[in-house]
Amino acid sequence: MRTVRMPLRGSAKLAWTQVEYLGQETLRGLQRGGWMNWAAISTVTVLLFLFGISLQTSWQVSGLLQQMGSNVQISLYLIPEADGEVVQGTVGQFPGVANVEIVPKEQAWQGLLADLGAADIEGVTEGLGENPLVDELVVRARSVGAVPQLVSSLARVPGVDSVSYLDEALQHLADLNQGLSRVSWAVVSLLTLTAIAVITTTIRLIVIARHQEIEVMQLVGATHTWIYLPFLLQGLAFGLGGAALAWVFLVATRQFAQHLLTRQPNFLQTLAHGLQLQPGQALLLPIILLTFGSLVGLSGSLLAVRRFSLR
Amino acid sequence: MTQAPLRQSVIETILQESQTPTSPTKEHAYSVQLRGVNKVFLQTQFRLQNIHLNVRQGEFLFITGPSGSGKSTLLKLIYGEERADQGEVRVEGQNVGGLRGNRLSMLRRRLGVVFQDYKLISRWTVAENVSFVLRSQGIPRDEVERRLQPTLRLVGLGNKANCLPCQLSGGEQQRASIARAIVGSPRLLLADEPTGNLDHDNAMQVLGILKKLNELGITVMITTHDLYLIERGQARVAHLNQGRLEVLSSEQVTPCEP
Repeated sequence: MRTVRMPLRGSAKLAWTQVEYLGQETLRGLQRGGWMNWAAISTVTVLLFLFGISLQTSWQVSGLLQQMGSNVQISLYLIPEADGEVVQGTVGQFPGVANVEIVPKEQAWQGLLADLGAADIEGVTEGLGENPLVDELVVRARSVGAVPQLVSSLARVPGVDSVSYLDEALQHLADLNQGLSRVSWAVVSLLTLTAIAVITTTIRLIVIARHQEIEVMQLVGATHTWIYLPFLLQGLAFGLGGAALAWVFLVATRQFAQHLLTRQPNFLQTLAHGLQLQPGQALLLPIILLTFGSLVGLSGSLLAVRRFSLR
Repeated sequence: MTQAPLRQSVIETILQESQTPTSPTKEHAYSVQLRGVNKVFLQTQFRLQNIHLNVRQGEFLFITGPSGSGKSTLLKLIYGEERADQGEVRVEGQNVGGLRGNRLSMLRRRLGVVFQDYKLISRWTVAENVSFVLRSQGIPRDEVERRLQPTLRLVGLGNKANCLPCQLSGGEQQRASIARAIVGSPRLLLADEPTGNLDHDNAMQVLGILKKLNELGITVMITTHDLYLIERGQARVAHLNQGRLEVLSSEQVTPCEP
């Protein structure tokens, strides 16, 4: 038994020595970096914060689209002279219509004012002279695919002024989301390159500052891996540090936004619910940030030491 | 004189270490062999021409020659910092020119190099400068501690372990440099002008340490232009002149006043 245990104990000790040495050398390098460390970490933080915002918004908008997309409805706005019940009867006879509900303009007005947070309904109505809304018919289609054709048919029904349906709004929202995604990917790509460049420069300056130690290490037989691994770990530390800070800022920003929205009128409060991430997303976000940060840090430090280690 | 018994015990410790090779290479009759080595630096027009040299295991060899004759370059060829344009440099049978990366690092672990400018890290204490060699080779901390004190005592710096290089005299700095070169229990010690910046007493002290290490079985190669040192060293001498090497005995070197 003893002959088996000894090598294991020896290899564990050697591994611990290596980890301890690499940790110490990494810390020593970070100490030598001084304020350059903060330049590197803050660049990674800005990059990952924007990336995180972009990713989070994309998730939130996607969730919103999914939620709204499962509940397609068509709104018919009537001309002021039209009789809502008559038009409701006509519309109900269309084969693609599953259900028609009438929303009188008074009810719509009260709902709108409630959403806007106006308590004095009569006062606001008097101020405007009269209720500016018209009667509305809310139509539910039998199938989502039939909606465009149904909309064009309903638009020709007498008494109908205009038709809008949520799918249109969803499409606009989806387009907006896609546009924002493109812009954020461009910004994130640019910032990624900037962060890598800053980390490369920082590590390169640290390597130059420690050239005497490195020269002696090479002459006494330290391997390239042993010499340059601490620098890669420094890059990794920049990435992980930046990612951790970015995550903290993201959580703080989200909570602050939610806190602000809970004091706002009803329709803005619903946005606060939309800001909530799914439990899986809340867990995935820091993992993605840490992974991305690590990759950026490692890429920067690899570029920095590659030049030296190949000498 | 009072340090003699202590020094003896330290020598025994070092001797045990030096007899334990750091890698399983077989014994070779020659520690260093140079065969037809040519090296040219185009910018300075400096050249080593057709160098042949055999250094036996456990030998003590001086390499002499005027400044710029290629003494340091010759040592650099041996520890792989420079590469020969032609010919072959072998250390314990291994062709240094064919070694790259980790294989070159492993060879260097079997060598100790003492530099004329010491190359001590100014921010580190003597103990840190010396133990750094072992730590950068991944040797456990307790083993580093075990080797450190005997090595420092061997070079007479047992009480200077916590001093910074700037707090040491030139001779002490050179001895710290020697401690760093031998703490890894090398089988070959290369010293580039180890007494070049030292006064006579310190030079003799350094020579004494190097001779003692040689008595332990370590092959020692020293470059110097100090003829008095060569006379006192009583060893074979290889003389470099205008890029060519000539091997002499110590008696063939004309002595000069210290």
